[in-house]
Amino acid sequence: MTRPKRRTLLLAAVTAVALAASACGRDSGDGEAEKGEKVAQGKASGNITVWAMGTEGEKLSALADDFMKENPDAKVTVTAVPWDNAHNKIAAAIAGQQTPDVTMLGTTWMGEFAKTGALDVVPPDFVKKDDFFPGAWETGVVDGTSYGVPWYVETRLLFVNKAVAEKAGITEAPKDWDSLTQAVSDMKTKGGAKWGVYLQPGQTGAWQTAMPFVWQNGGEVWDGKNFTLDSPEATEALEYYQSFYKDGLSTKDRIPDGQQEPKLLKGEIGAFVSGPWHIGLLNDLGGEGKYELWPMPSGSGDATSFIGGSNMSVFKNSKNRDGAWKFVSYLMKPEVQVKWYETVNDLPAVQSAWDDQTLSGDEMLKMFGDQLDKAKAPPSIPTWEQIAAGLDTELEKVAKGTESAADAAKAMQAQATSIGTGG
Amino acid sequence: MSRALTGWFFALPFAALFLLFTAGPVVASLLMSLTDLGSADLLHPLGVNIVGLDNYLRLFDDPKFLIAATNTAIFVVVGVPLTMAAALLVALGLNSGLVKFRALFRVGYYLPVVTSIVAISVVWRFLLQPDGGLVNEVLSWVGINGPNWLNNKTYALPTLIVMGAWRNLGFGMVIFLAGLQAIPKELYEAATIDGAGKWSQLRFLTVPMLRPTMLFVAVITTIGYVQFFEEPFVMTRGGPLDSTLSMAYHTYNQFGFGNYGYASAMGYVLFVVVVLLSIAWFRLLRNNVD
Repeated sequence: MTRPKRRTLLLAAVTAVALAASACGRDSGDGEAEKGEKVAQGKASGNITVWAMGTEGEKLSALADDFMKENPDAKVTVTAVPWDNAHNKIAAAIAGQQTPDVTMLGTTWMGEFAKTGALDVVPPDFVKKDDFFPGAWETGVVDGTSYGVPWYVETRLLFVNKAVAEKAGITEAPKDWDSLTQAVSDMKTKGGAKWGVYLQPGQTGAWQTAMPFVWQNGGEVWDGKNFTLDSPEATEALEYYQSFYKDGLSTKDRIPDGQQEPKLLKGEIGAFVSGPWHIGLLNDLGGEGKYELWPMPSGSGDATSFIGGSNMSVFKNSKNRDGAWKFVSYLMKPEVQVKWYETVNDLPAVQSAWDDQTLSGDEMLKMFGDQLDKAKAPPSIPTWEQIAAGLDTELEKVAKGTESAADAAKAMQAQATSIGTGG
Repeated sequence: MSRALTGWFFALPFAALFLLFTAGPVVASLLMSLTDLGSADLLHPLGVNIVGLDNYLRLFDDPKFLIAATNTAIFVVVGVPLTMAAALLVALGLNSGLVKFRALFRVGYYLPVVTSIVAISVVWRFLLQPDGGLVNEVLSWVGINGPNWLNNKTYALPTLIVMGAWRNLGFGMVIFLAGLQAIPKELYEAATIDGAGKWSQLRFLTVPMLRPTMLFVAVITTIGYVQFFEEPFVMTRGGPLDSTLSMAYHTYNQFGFGNYGYASAMGYVLFVVVVLLSIAWFRLLRNNVD
């Protein structure tokens, strides 16, 4: 290539790159809460594609068939997506603009996917906010706008070995922090348990065990503008969490998956914190009748627990928006929620579904239902997973005793503030 | 001219697939690492801010990245020589004709290389259990009270190194066996006539003749170990207290959080490290034998 030709080529390349670079750049959103568009009345029609994960994905076609009987012109296609790949699959679908009409989303994913702009706003009159548990509804609200409807919920209670508790002389569930510590201590000294309780000592997901202590003490993670992880209430809560490890009431080593349940039933650990799925797991191991449930205790605040679950969202570029929302609102009917409980044991997010005999008649479920009234979720911000990972790291240090609760609270606050809310 | 065209025509399928699925994403991720692309930008990937080398500079302020880098360095510095030495030992043993059923041993040593990491981790977790596991049982016979290996901040990484060496020595062994069989027998005969003992033969004959083979095993093992991800992911989840967090694992976490630009930068740092280490090995084990 001759010299002038090469120079021209280089100049052209540099100009092209510079132009491309200048074309890049994000424009800031307006940050106003949006209202959804209305959905037309009448029966649904057309094709509706739905993605759902896990067991829910496998069994949802049962409800879809009922919907198609009521709406003969509609055709619902359910695709079961395995949980471990679901997050990436949805992200890829959004990037490639190949999204379905309706998708199930984990509550902690709402902030992230709402920020992509791919989710449709919930139509205000079609789905009523007051039908749902307040904590559950909040999981679908991002920046004041509702992007998802809670489908099923779960919350956490203390699973306790009955025999150990009896031997320790505990007659009723402890109501506050001091009584809980006393009860756990008794289970270890008098009840014969090696560990009075198992609280996850840091690592992935430990925040779901520790943050409720902050809420029980009247503290908050996020007050709407700033993080409040180093407030006095939060620091006290972390000290309470640490006390279980310091006093030798909980093991500092993480118990691998699948070993918690046998250890509880054997009486090696007196109690652990978990959700409704453990009822089935413990019963399968022959534990029916051997364990009981205790509600969360209260610190200086309410006896609050963690609320999780999954929401249903519709994508903005759905070709059958009306049909999609009609399917979603069908799933939220109380009788359909009860049928769903009977199919997969998922707790209904709709409050009136709990009046049904199937749920109100079961003692253990009733306890979960009562706890759902006092359950909170973390803020629906896109950076929550990253902040939660930071919390888990600090919680591990607190549990293992390499950091004081006060320092951990400050570290958590600093990390959360520097990561920001991705706004 | 037509011969050149025919050549290009035959190369076209591979070239097209390579450009589309390998070279394209590599270049795209390099450009990604120069922006602040996040998961919120999925619908508008071009509407991001160019931040230049900001992502790269931020890496060195990130305490987790520095921990991950240290862990990876320890894993490579200790693990690679350990694996190569073990592989060489086994290969020498199998090659010396002392062992019957050589094929059986070869399969046995190579099996961990091709076994699923999930299966291996389940078995090793049982072995390493503090109370009933085989490792601590055997140690208790000699009076040592074994620690809780995978939950102990000091012992978790060495445990993974040993497990990694056990798993990967089969690969090195196969290559070394091939290399050993390529050394002409006459050299050994000549050495024996000259009065060299077994140990001298090993030091001055076998090892120098194996230099090219060692170079290959060293580079492949290093490349694999710099990117080690499966062992901490399945066995310890990066714990306890991030003592087994590797660079690849940290990158994976950052991708999971949606920090695509930042994670791409980390990936490229890994790439540079691999290139530098490979160059170092080539310098060290340069073929100076004819």
